[in-house]
Amino acid sequence: MEEQIGKVWDRFLKKKINKSYDDKRVFFTDKRKALNIFYHLLGGEKGKELQIADKRSIKTTRSVLERVSGSGTTFFLAWQDDKGVYLPASLAYFDNEKLNEMHYFWLVALAAKMPANAPNFAQKNLQIAHELIQTYPGFESFYQSAITYLIKERLRLSIKDPEQQRHELAFINSLVDRELINVSTYTLNNIYPFPLWLYPAQTSQQASNSFDDDAELENSPQKSEKTEELKMKKRSSQMDDEKKSDGLLIFLPDSLMSIMEQVNLDRSEDDSFDEDALYNAEDLEEITLGKKRANLSARIKMDLDFAEGAAEEYPLGKGHFINEWDYKKQDYLENYVCIKPIIDINIKPIALPKRLQKMVKKIASELDLMQLDRIKNNKLPYGDEINLDTWIEYLGHQDKSLHPQKFYESVERKCRDLATLILADVSLSTEAGITQEIRIIDMIKDGLMVFSESLNRLQDQFALYTFSSLKNTNVRFQIIKNFKEGYSDLIRGRIENIKPGYYTRLGAAIRESSKILDKQQTANKLLLIISDGKPNDVDRYDGRYGIEDTKKAIEEAKRLGITPFCVTIDLEAKDYLAYLFGRNGYVVIRDSKKLPKVLPEIYMNLTL
Amino acid sequence: MDSSSYFAQANEVELFEAAAAMKLPILIKGPTGCGKTRFIEFMGQKLGRKVHTVVCHDDLSAADLIGRHLIREEGTYWQDGPLTKAVREGGICYLDEVIEARKDTTVVLHSLADYRRVLPIDRTGELIEAHPDFMLVVSYNPGYQNVLKGMKPSTKQRFIALSFDYPNAEIECQIIMKEGDVNETVAQKLVTIAHEIRRLKESDIQEAVSTRLLIYAAKLISQGFNPYDACVHSIVESLSDEEDVLEVLRTLIKLHFLDENN
Repeated sequence: MEEQIGKVWDRFLKKKINKSYDDKRVFFTDKRKALNIFYHLLGGEKGKELQIADKRSIKTTRSVLERVSGSGTTFFLAWQDDKGVYLPASLAYFDNEKLNEMHYFWLVALAAKMPANAPNFAQKNLQIAHELIQTYPGFESFYQSAITYLIKERLRLSIKDPEQQRHELAFINSLVDRELINVSTYTLNNIYPFPLWLYPAQTSQQASNSFDDDAELENSPQKSEKTEELKMKKRSSQMDDEKKSDGLLIFLPDSLMSIMEQVNLDRSEDDSFDEDALYNAEDLEEITLGKKRANLSARIKMDLDFAEGAAEEYPLGKGHFINEWDYKKQDYLENYVCIKPIIDINIKPIALPKRLQKMVKKIASELDLMQLDRIKNNKLPYGDEINLDTWIEYLGHQDKSLHPQKFYESVERKCRDLATLILADVSLSTEAGITQEIRIIDMIKDGLMVFSESLNRLQDQFALYTFSSLKNTNVRFQIIKNFKEGYSDLIRGRIENIKPGYYTRLGAAIRESSKILDKQQTANKLLLIISDGKPNDVDRYDGRYGIEDTKKAIEEAKRLGITPFCVTIDLEAKDYLAYLFGRNGYVVIRDSKKLPKVLPEIYMNLTL
Repeated sequence: MDSSSYFAQANEVELFEAAAAMKLPILIKGPTGCGKTRFIEFMGQKLGRKVHTVVCHDDLSAADLIGRHLIREEGTYWQDGPLTKAVREGGICYLDEVIEARKDTTVVLHSLADYRRVLPIDRTGELIEAHPDFMLVVSYNPGYQNVLKGMKPSTKQRFIALSFDYPNAEIECQIIMKEGDVNETVAQKLVTIAHEIRRLKESDIQEAVSTRLLIYAAKLISQGFNPYDACVHSIVESLSDEEDVLEVLRTLIKLHFLDENN
């Protein structure tokens, strides 16, 4: 009973202090795409991502009510670091949906214009706010009504400390008069959080419990990465706060993310992981706990496969080293990644599986319709050349008015001077099921099989490789068919034998493929990448690092005259793929079951 | 519009004149609406040479460039194509969007584009030596993506290459003021918008807003349209067909012009 009453009281208090307008709430997820575009429009870095921000705890003045209810210590603030921009999951400060939406645009505009680690953030915020209003008069009415409202709210704060009172007064004055604050030493805690501001990255003051860098990587992480670790820690401690109260200003409706984060951090503390674990922990959406465990089991399975000795992986040499791009250093890490070419041996050649025969037949008949040889069209009203036979025939007619003057011929020649390298991502995520029986990897296999049949039919040169990676030291580059081999039952057997591997170090795989394609003598070179997700690996190759390296690898390929094109089944892929491949450089397949059917179509669209 | 005005972006006018004097062919690449065609027309006037323009398409054959036999009552006769005409009479032969033409077509340019400067016509057995005033200019937009389209390196490597881009803010502002008949404030605003939208190129939109579109917008504004409508209809709508992209672009324009729109 007591508990019941306590809950009711708690809810009542929260309601009392929760000054947000829930029915006018605007959610980040609904606006994500628009905000991303807006961010780019205003000059935000394209490699950075807009993400949902966690709560931050800020020691600051609280109103009496807040103190009674135990809230007002954590806030959803917009902030940024050099990896991304973090915005509240939803905004509902104003009694007007348009204003709440505009609030998002405002924060994104600030993020685009403000350097990530600007010193003296208060001054910077005020300064950029003024600049924004001057450049974009449309922000004026938003800003005016927003500060009017927010200042009114702030007057309700009960500030006791005279020092803080002075700060607050100066702050409000500077907002009203649109002047810069002349005190340059504000810290986060001096001023009660102001939702129109963009805050700097969370840095740690308790730098005592830092990680040891056991330098497993050849290049040990830099200083800044260390603070990242601590940031994560700090956030984990904040998670405990969550139970106590909700934020004063807004609340996060889906706390799912926070929970996952906590799980991950627990893992990083049972010291079974090196510093790389933190890279994983940071980008929760990509790597989850479950995935890592699955990885272990996959490794065991692999070992069992070896023991059976039926089909066996055979390494071709010890592997060779290639460069990787580090966007933080803006330089290449020389010979950083080890590519290990492998080929399956003891493969049983197979005929085309029955389930695919119908589809292959259909596609083949479609391809046959497009005659790719020299075509001579005769009896045309105009053309390259007069066909003498038709001409003489025409002259022989007595009554020429009955016979149209169609005696031209023209020659159309279509030759395909083209080499295609198909690079398939067989990372562990392809193990995921589409339905109970079918996994993504099965669709990729079927896709490769049907596609190879089509290419073979067209007599286009092609090669087939798959890749997966486990850190920079082991990028497995598996040969299914190289350019010299003919397509045969053996190749089909190899395709059938493809198994999911580990992670997706895409940049390295692209560099290796470019090298192979570059040796081909054809005028056109197509690098067709089939993927199911973002570039990532267990080390720091994740998030922006992976994307920037892949981007670099693609640029290198383009410089060699290779056209990269990506086919993905990752529905979320649009933002980063456009950045990597350019707007016309990729296609997203919504239903991965259609992959076998769609691949040849995409290819024909690209090359006809 | 008179083609006599042209704002140079860099040293392209001097380069073109030098190339014309030395009888070298020129290749111009650049995005759509950045002033390639205008530049050629201007140079044609400046040098006093006629410009023969051929807009290339994927059905363009060598015969379309060189010429073909036509028929009349007495029999067949040879009709010069635009390229042959320019070679005989002198003038600038301008092949616009040259990569759109099939690759085997552009091979006929090879003997014209190097020191030989001759055009062999195998159907008539003629070997035409180019007129001293003949100049070959080709242009293309490197933005399109199709693996099989693109210039053969052997063709590319016969040209003095000029790479065009949208003019810098100052020049673009002047162009808009002159062509669109608007004041400097409006012109500058349009240039600012264009620069913002150009940042989206390659990721969210296929082609960035061109100077040509900005001039359209300026013209609409000077005709009395309110700036928001003018920009939406001339700049925004043509850039994308995706509603969410359009929405953001409209928001951007609104933010820029709200004071005059409200």
